[in-house]
Amino acid sequence: MGRIRLESLRKSYGQVEVLKDINLEIEEGELVVFVGPSGCGKSTLLRQISGLDRPTSGNIFINENDATNVSAADRGLAMVFQSYALYPHMTVRQNLAFGLQNAKMPKAEMDERISAAVEMLEIGPLLKRRPGQLSGGQRQRVAIGRAIVRDPTAFLLDEPLSNLDAELRVSMRAELSALHARLGATMIYVTHDQVEAMTLADRIVVLRAGKIEQVAPPITLFEKPVNKFVAGFIGAPNMNFLTLDDVQPVLGNVGVPAGATMTGIRPQHLSPAETGLDMTVTLVEALGTETVIHGVLGSGATILVTVPGHVKTSKGEHMTLNVDPAHLHFFDADELRVEAA
Amino acid sequence: MISNEKTTIGAVLSAPVRWLAEAIDIPMRWWQGIAGRPGMISFFLIPNLLIFGMFVLVPLFINIVYSVTGGTELFLSDRSYVGGAHFNRLLECENHFNPNSCREDLFWIALWNTIKFVFTQVSVMIVFAVITALILNGKIRARAFWRAVFFFPVLLSPVVVGLIWQWMLQRQGVFNFILFQFDAQAINWLTERTWAFGAAVGVSIWAHVGFYVLILLAGLQAIPRDLYEAAEMDGTPPARAFWRITLPLLWPNLLVVIVLALIRAVQVFDEVYVLTGGGPGTSNLYLTQYIYEVGFASILRNPGLASAASLIMASILVVLTLAQLGLTRWKDKK
Amino acid sequence: MKAITFLTRRRGGDTWHWTDVVTFAWLGFGLIIMFGPAIWLVMSSFKSPAQLAEFPPTILPYVSETVEVPVKGTMKELPLYTVTTEGEAPRELAEVRRVGIIANMVDPADPETVIKVNINDRTPVRRVGLALENYAKPLRDFNFGLYLWNSVFVTGVATIITLITNSMAAFALSKYDFRGRNAVLLLIVATLMIPISVNIVPLYSVVSSLGLLNSLWGVILPTVATPTGVFLLRQYMLTIPDELLEAARMDKASEWQIYWRIILPLTAPALAVLAIFSVVWRWNDFLWPLIVLSRKELFTLQVGLNTFAGELNVQWHFILAMTVATMIPVVLVFVFLQRYITAGIAGTGLK
Repeated sequence: MGRIRLESLRKSYGQVEVLKDINLEIEEGELVVFVGPSGCGKSTLLRQISGLDRPTSGNIFINENDATNVSAADRGLAMVFQSYALYPHMTVRQNLAFGLQNAKMPKAEMDERISAAVEMLEIGPLLKRRPGQLSGGQRQRVAIGRAIVRDPTAFLLDEPLSNLDAELRVSMRAELSALHARLGATMIYVTHDQVEAMTLADRIVVLRAGKIEQVAPPITLFEKPVNKFVAGFIGAPNMNFLTLDDVQPVLGNVGVPAGATMTGIRPQHLSPAETGLDMTVTLVEALGTETVIHGVLGSGATILVTVPGHVKTSKGEHMTLNVDPAHLHFFDADELRVEAA
Repeated sequence: MISNEKTTIGAVLSAPVRWLAEAIDIPMRWWQGIAGRPGMISFFLIPNLLIFGMFVLVPLFINIVYSVTGGTELFLSDRSYVGGAHFNRLLECENHFNPNSCREDLFWIALWNTIKFVFTQVSVMIVFAVITALILNGKIRARAFWRAVFFFPVLLSPVVVGLIWQWMLQRQGVFNFILFQFDAQAINWLTERTWAFGAAVGVSIWAHVGFYVLILLAGLQAIPRDLYEAAEMDGTPPARAFWRITLPLLWPNLLVVIVLALIRAVQVFDEVYVLTGGGPGTSNLYLTQYIYEVGFASILRNPGLASAASLIMASILVVLTLAQLGLTRWKDKK
Repeated sequence: MKAITFLTRRRGGDTWHWTDVVTFAWLGFGLIIMFGPAIWLVMSSFKSPAQLAEFPPTILPYVSETVEVPVKGTMKELPLYTVTTEGEAPRELAEVRRVGIIANMVDPADPETVIKVNINDRTPVRRVGLALENYAKPLRDFNFGLYLWNSVFVTGVATIITLITNSMAAFALSKYDFRGRNAVLLLIVATLMIPISVNIVPLYSVVSSLGLLNSLWGVILPTVATPTGVFLLRQYMLTIPDELLEAARMDKASEWQIYWRIILPLTAPALAVLAIFSVVWRWNDFLWPLIVLSRKELFTLQVGLNTFAGELNVQWHFILAMTVATMIPVVLVFVFLQRYITAGIAGTGLK
């Protein structure tokens, strides 16, 4: 069991409204990622769910029970903190046991749970060490272990990989994904890294300035962003936003939806062609597997193109680009998505 | 297998402590259940605040009441309002530089003695401390040992300090023996006015200088070494390096230390009291002893007068403390 | 000798610069003036009254040699003297008794023959030794054992209460946000510098109306709510990340458990510094116990020593021995915990 439902959740600090009317349903066993730029309220939202903070108004339901006024300890959730928050004066084993002791769990069951978690995370050799003697990756595992032994209704993970170096982050990401598959537990994962979000999530919740912009599986988010913000936030490099005039050469006989004032084209969807947009190259970044080309259009608008493999071009040269009209996104004056008719 | 944790001595020792904590936790959880987190905050704060209020705040208030009421009674209700009479009595003088012309001549003697003491003691001590700190910060071995040598008397109790020096300075003491070796006249260190004042200053410096050496040394060690290396590359002579690098960078620390030393010197009492009893005559009578004697010891016991005197002393301390807070803030900003 | 070369080794260069000379002159002077008095005190405390009255004084303590001699059939312990009479070689004789300026002496080898010697012709035979009765007698006869216990009680109890109440208050003031927190903090900072000497008169009346005069609790309680301790601990606790507390709350820890099992162990270094200082402060306290305690059996060591010194103005051998005894705990603290003390002072400006 691990259903979580948020109803009209609001949180203000004094005059500042950090969360504005959040409504969200998280299904059992789902891995939901909260993503958004810093200050968007994603960590605050997680803290409301955890019970470490109380919302100004609105309700939180866990398994259909109103948990809004239940204390953090009694919500049955476990949290993995950004800094791991391991107790520095306790050994790894004591760290794992602390919460279980507080719950007055019988020793036999406690040992059983700890050995199961230890086995799963392969941290057996570390049990007698203190957090100060562990590497970043090991601390991360212990922090997750501390959550696992609690056998929680849901896991809350607050940017758990942000303190690791790039290489470790990729491998831990894969492990987390495997762990989720194995445990089948509900997980809520907060990050500002869209790659983490895309690779881990069953569904992504995109937040901006305390509001949910879109909730959708990763691919939907990529293919059908509901507005310009989501379109720009998801996908790397960022989507090109161009006026209708700029893209006139490639529109051909595609029907421009009514109300559309702007198009969005992902850099990956542009390719060199005989006819199309005329671009002057300003910078070429050869990454080996792909080449990122920066350029300007005749109107002065900047544009990014990524082309697989290596492309021979250099600053000052002209390129002609085309795009499959199916990959064109249209936005109206309010920056909302409008579908082609 | 992971549960084969060996029973260590630490675990054995910590077991009763943990058991105690668990036992206390039962009523605590009950209380937290009733009063919530705010209840626990009060629980954590109340013992300290209660003692603090009882023994710091209430006396502070009573002090003010005492200073404007008369009589020898201690209960507030038994005392009659006299307004500023105590302050008038303390401050009334024909010539403030001549204690004999004052109505409360002992107060003015104590005040002027204190001022004289503060200036001599602080200036000599700070110079001594700076030189010592500079030397300890130099290229020497076993710095920790030398630092300990100078710091050691700081921890001694005033009674011990007073008695050690009384023994050294008595007529047949080791100091007069040294003089005797040089065929010099023996000196009555503790019974001649000038020498007794000098002895009080000297002993007080001996007892406290190590503390200031320690703080100044920490300040010196915070000055980056590469500044001196850069100066050396520029061919700066050591004296110039001291005036242009060390002193400016140490200055904020030094100011704070000076004010701290002033604050403490104003309260001079115990080691001098043990050393000379405030004598000979009134030559080592300082403000704290005046308050103590008027408040408790003297046949003319007058709590109101003592309170008024202590408020005057407190106002001196408040000015110095404000100066210190200001300087600390200024130092932190730098 | 190895120690001397270690202490005097210079860091750079083999040649003597004038600054090296100044350095060593200053340090040597410092060593004598700072350490000398304490060493002189310890040496003197082991001297007999007669030896203390000597001028010029000796550095080391001596005791007179005695010898067992049969006098009229019974063995007696007699003091040994070197006798130098004119025209004769110096010999060692035991003194049986003294009449005026004439001493009746015997040769230990031939105790039957009494030799009359002018007292100016004899000097006592002495060896380096300790007059331990300087220590034994006051501890036994002058209540010093009781004073010692009172001091240990006051120091111990005051330190424990200080650590508990200060750490609880510091915890509340550093880890909770509540209305009035800034007011409490301001109050604490404001009184940080008010010394007990400013407040003694009204404090006396408070303690007296609580019935705590002539009670060790009257000495203990006014000292334990030190704003300094709260301030020091709070500064340290602020560095403990809040996420640890939140993790503990998620782990079902009560607020008391958070204080006891998370905060206290992590504040151990600061608690140790405060404990050391509290022990030194309370052990050394003088003015306040002097005011509160007037019954002899309640005196702390400091008050007892001061009174003792006042009463026994001439009995320096007892006074010196008791001064050393009073000093010992602080010296032990200093020797073993010096590193923490100096680090604590340099870090906080506490004294």
